[in-house]
Amino acid sequence: MSAADDRDPTATGPTTPDHRGEAATNDHHDDRAADQPTAGRHAAPDQEAAADRQVAPEHEAAGRHAAERAPDGGARPLVEAPADTVAGEVVLRLTDVVKTFPGVRALDGVQLEVRAGEVHCLLGQNGAGKSTLIKVLAGVHRPDSGEVMWRGEPAAFANPQAAMRAGIATIYQELDLVDDLSVAENAFLGHEPRRLGFVRRGHMARRTRGILARLGHGEIPPGRLVRHLPAAGKQVVSMARALSHEARLIIMDEPSAVLAHDEVDNLFRIIRELTAQGIAVIYISHRLEEIREIGDRVTVLKDGRTTAANLPARDTPTRDLVSRMTGRSIEYVFPDRPVDEPAGEELLTVDGLTRAGEFADVSLNVRAGEIVGIAGLVGSGRSELLETIYGARRAESGTVRMDGRALRAGSVGAAVKAGMGMAPEERKSQALLLGEPIYRNVTLATFGRYSRLGFTNAGRERDEAGRIADNLELRPRDVRRAVGTLSGGNQQKVVVGRWLLGDTRLLLLDEPTRGVDVGARAELYQVIRQLAARGVGVLLVSSEVPEVLGLADRVLVMREGRVVREAPADELDENTVLDLVMAGSLMEGAPA
Amino acid sequence: MTSHGRDLSRRRLLFGGAALGAGALLVGCTSNEEKPTEAQTKAAANESGGNSEPGKKVTIGFSAPAADHGWIAAITNNAKAQAGAYSDVEFKSVEAGADAAAQRAALSTLLSQKPDVIVLLPHDGKELNAFGLEAMKAGIPVVNLDRAFPDAKAYRLQIKGDNYGMGVAAATFIVEQLKAKGVSNPVIGEIAGIDSLELTQERSKGFADTLAQNGLKVANRRAAEFTADSGQQAATGLFQALPKIDAIWNHDDDQGIGVLAAVNQANRKEFFMVGGAGSKKAMEDIQADNTVLKATVTYSPSMASSAISLARLIGQGRGMSDLVELQVPKEIVLASETITKENASDYLKLGF
Amino acid sequence: MTTDSTKAAPDRAALPAQSPPVDPAQTEAAAGHAATAKAPNRGRIPFWSGEGGEGARRNLGLLATLVVLVVIGIATRPDLYGNASWVWGNTLTILKLASVVGVVTVGMTFVIIGGGIDLSVGAIVALAGVWCTTVATQSYGAGGMIFSALVVGLAVGVVNGLLISYGKLVPFIATLAMMVAARGLAAEISDKQTQVSDNQFINGIASTSLLGIPLLVYILAAVVIAGWVLLNRTTFGRRTVAVGGNAEAARLAGINVRLHTLLLYALSGLCCGIAAIMLTAQANSAQAAMANLYELDAIAAAIIGGTLLSGGRGTIVGSLLGVIIFSTITNLFAINGLSTEAQNMVKGGIIVAAVLIQQVQFGNLGTRFGRKRASTA
Repeated sequence: MSAADDRDPTATGPTTPDHRGEAATNDHHDDRAADQPTAGRHAAPDQEAAADRQVAPEHEAAGRHAAERAPDGGARPLVEAPADTVAGEVVLRLTDVVKTFPGVRALDGVQLEVRAGEVHCLLGQNGAGKSTLIKVLAGVHRPDSGEVMWRGEPAAFANPQAAMRAGIATIYQELDLVDDLSVAENAFLGHEPRRLGFVRRGHMARRTRGILARLGHGEIPPGRLVRHLPAAGKQVVSMARALSHEARLIIMDEPSAVLAHDEVDNLFRIIRELTAQGIAVIYISHRLEEIREIGDRVTVLKDGRTTAANLPARDTPTRDLVSRMTGRSIEYVFPDRPVDEPAGEELLTVDGLTRAGEFADVSLNVRAGEIVGIAGLVGSGRSELLETIYGARRAESGTVRMDGRALRAGSVGAAVKAGMGMAPEERKSQALLLGEPIYRNVTLATFGRYSRLGFTNAGRERDEAGRIADNLELRPRDVRRAVGTLSGGNQQKVVVGRWLLGDTRLLLLDEPTRGVDVGARAELYQVIRQLAARGVGVLLVSSEVPEVLGLADRVLVMREGRVVREAPADELDENTVLDLVMAGSLMEGAPA
Repeated sequence: MTSHGRDLSRRRLLFGGAALGAGALLVGCTSNEEKPTEAQTKAAANESGGNSEPGKKVTIGFSAPAADHGWIAAITNNAKAQAGAYSDVEFKSVEAGADAAAQRAALSTLLSQKPDVIVLLPHDGKELNAFGLEAMKAGIPVVNLDRAFPDAKAYRLQIKGDNYGMGVAAATFIVEQLKAKGVSNPVIGEIAGIDSLELTQERSKGFADTLAQNGLKVANRRAAEFTADSGQQAATGLFQALPKIDAIWNHDDDQGIGVLAAVNQANRKEFFMVGGAGSKKAMEDIQADNTVLKATVTYSPSMASSAISLARLIGQGRGMSDLVELQVPKEIVLASETITKENASDYLKLGF
Repeated sequence: MTTDSTKAAPDRAALPAQSPPVDPAQTEAAAGHAATAKAPNRGRIPFWSGEGGEGARRNLGLLATLVVLVVIGIATRPDLYGNASWVWGNTLTILKLASVVGVVTVGMTFVIIGGGIDLSVGAIVALAGVWCTTVATQSYGAGGMIFSALVVGLAVGVVNGLLISYGKLVPFIATLAMMVAARGLAAEISDKQTQVSDNQFINGIASTSLLGIPLLVYILAAVVIAGWVLLNRTTFGRRTVAVGGNAEAARLAGINVRLHTLLLYALSGLCCGIAAIMLTAQANSAQAAMANLYELDAIAAAIIGGTLLSGGRGTIVGSLLGVIIFSTITNLFAINGLSTEAQNMVKGGIIVAAVLIQQVQFGNLGTRFGRKRASTA
């Protein structure tokens, strides 16, 4: 790695993407375009690559960069990228960091190098060790072995406070803000400026205002309760907290997951301002396009090891990145649509459904065997619509009919009885009993079916759940394991699998692939398509437009609680949908 | 009608019947309120001359803890009844709530109504001492009932039972009986009331002191909570600890119901028992002589009636007609009497 | 929910066959794995162990605690423990002592596993006990007394449930209010007097033995077994765990969370009604102050028995062991003639220690062993 460090200091130019954009005019550019998700949709599964996935990554990576790579020596990084886009001194360097938990080697020799003023992206599937790595850096865990050098000195943070004091701030996916404290109080939580034991409120508010201005959000009043801020505003407060500690390194764990499209742009603007001030950012995301846009360098983790370090974020072909993460080479693999679509009977009919402030006058239908996708931003009312159809919220007006029969409003039981099933947006908090075994989660909606006179039949349930597990390739397969020990993708399979056991004829899927790694995604897509082929109707909500376009037969676009467009999926393309979704909504959700 | 429907309707009928029955049972329950016995008050008309003659109109304020025990319930009832017996007494009672703080609050509203005398059974004498001082300073005489104020300036009159004396009486009876039976090296058990109360400690001290004077001691002592179920549990524990017992003193006749139940359940008959306080049921049991309960030592709630009578005299500035002094004395301690089969009939009217 | 499963069958049968992605070889492997995995599945789990190896280990810890208590008893009173018939009688006494709180704790365990708390149990026992011993009720005989105690317990439980599930009150607040109110009503009905039960059948419940074992112990055993079956082998139990573990997930899976919550409090109330009869029988009487602080005893027993206060996990056997541990401590202090104060301090200590031990033993030690295994592997 040292060679890379010293290489080509002249190329360490400004780090804002605008400039990098100009720099990135090399031959990799075309690769990247070809690998854009949109281009990949409808592509048949890449049989060869998929079959190869047992093979070590370096084998597949026989691409353009092969010559530059060191021969794979196990834990050693594969790639020493030309440091053409990297500024500043090395602030953080991890060497051979190992961290074990009972039965799991969460980190198994991680290398990482972060420079001041860069956005360093961490890529990896769920379970690759990203979260553990963050927690090691944040002082939550202490590594078992290996070296952490922070600003040139060996560091061992005893606790998160110590890491904070040393200048490492972490913004977790679930923002750890106190809803009922003000913006300023959250920003300075735990280190309030004090005099004689009294908090200097005015001083704190002034400093908060300064920090917010630095973040380009001077319009957020420091006295406002965090509860009243939109998601993007809360993220800004988290960053303000980081800056209140004079952080030199900010770690962001999937910051865009809770944000709508335009808010992500805003986030990127802030990140650019931070890096321009010499602050280093470690950015974690599942979304390759974001990494392309904001990242400088990429380190890829797989199974607790660094499989590639310091790849140039813009130029490394998607195929390479994905293969280093997964052993597969294409991100979105959508199953083929059936060629001749037999128009099934109409299953679900929604008429004029309305809930004030959430959505208004929504009418739609889903036929048996059809996948209907709803595209829309967070806050467009799509999740609320789904929950209302399912009876989890009570409609104010309008009707929901299954097979022509109206369902009782606000009754999940009625919906389930009529043959609906739902995989809600928040897997952990809305769908799973994390401490309970897999099979009990699979049979959560159906255990009554296997009971006699109220007595459950655990053996039968385990068998049925085992069948589902086989079908969905659940890993690990043991259905008596606690579901909380599964990865996100496998947990999602459990949630979807739950409805395969029943008489479910209409499946409502809310963000079915959120937090699901690339490999498991493809499997889920296959499952969904297969269900449709069996005659199950699917109503799908996703923030990811390519997913909706790739998977659905018919697409509804929602904006501000209304359906603004409905068309067969092949008549739409990503840009059209994005335009529809975003129109007039640029200010929506942004902190006022 | 389908068979299903008929089935349902029959079920409904059955259920309806059950519900009716339940209703009858549940509604049929009446409150078991008991009027205080005549004997526990002193009828004004019966007295000839002296104190009973109507005098100046007196307003008596009264406060006692919310009763969760037969004895305290009897105190409140007796006070009310005694006040009713006088034509010249106006009785103002305030609920004292659940603890000393609540009682203090209730008393301050009473104080603002300016009664002539206050009769008070405090939750805790120490905690309400300050109130006594305040009322006395405001010129309102305070009659302390049962639970003493530590400060002599905090009350005009203190009338109380003799907790230490109860222990003495119980021990004396037990020693006599054991001597009469010629038991050597007897095993003596004690079932106390709520252990944190001073009165419980005084009773136990009197008991232990008197036994010690006779060269005896308590083999095992369990504390209950003045309730029958806790008495039953404490007694059961005691029986496990002592395979053979000669005598037991149980501080309280209410919890004694549970103690006697435990005696039955454990089928233990080898000992005799002395009760405490003097409930009507205990006296009846003693009279019937068919349980192990052979005696009880009194701690009579009739003191509330006496307190009202004396408060009236204090309010009117009169002394007790049978005494030489022109004023009511400052302290009266009731003697604890021992009720046995022989004298139970005399005391039965004082039982609560 | 149990409608036509026949319709589902062909659908489900149609699903297996080709599983989604890639590589036939792997699918085969998975199928093969499934086949091998399935066979031992059935045989390996003994029927009594339920799902929780964790729970079983926890219970072993509680048993060990019991053994320690007995050993302390033997060490401090060898004279008593030398007598076999005394030991047997004492064991029965401990169980009798545990019986009333035990029955209450079974109901409490359900409520806590279901994500709630019931602070009113002691008050319900008192109210039901007082109600069934009024002069009027006693005139209906033993049947009337038992019936009214059960109905009162159930009714108060239903009111609790209604307030919580449909009135949307926090369980802590609703049952706290009920605790105060029910004791007040009991005091009102009894006029604060101790109501003696003259019914020999009722009183006999506490003094009767069958085959040398007290009737109260049979009642406790029956309630515990019924509770165990209900929790571990019925849809009711499964719903309880689901509602307590993740109410939102349960709701979205089609479980009627509100109704189930209501039923849980009703069940707790019913247990209190049963306990009221037992306690009335033991004390030959009832009064408003009876069953003092039983709510805390029951909660403490459930918690040292491994029931998660936040819901979603717990065992009936653990709760039973918790109750027995407490009554053994009471017994231990009684036979040694030690004061109640010391006993309460030890009880408090045991609660903390039990929870700490559970955390250490099954959390940290487990991970330590696990790590050792992982690193040696």
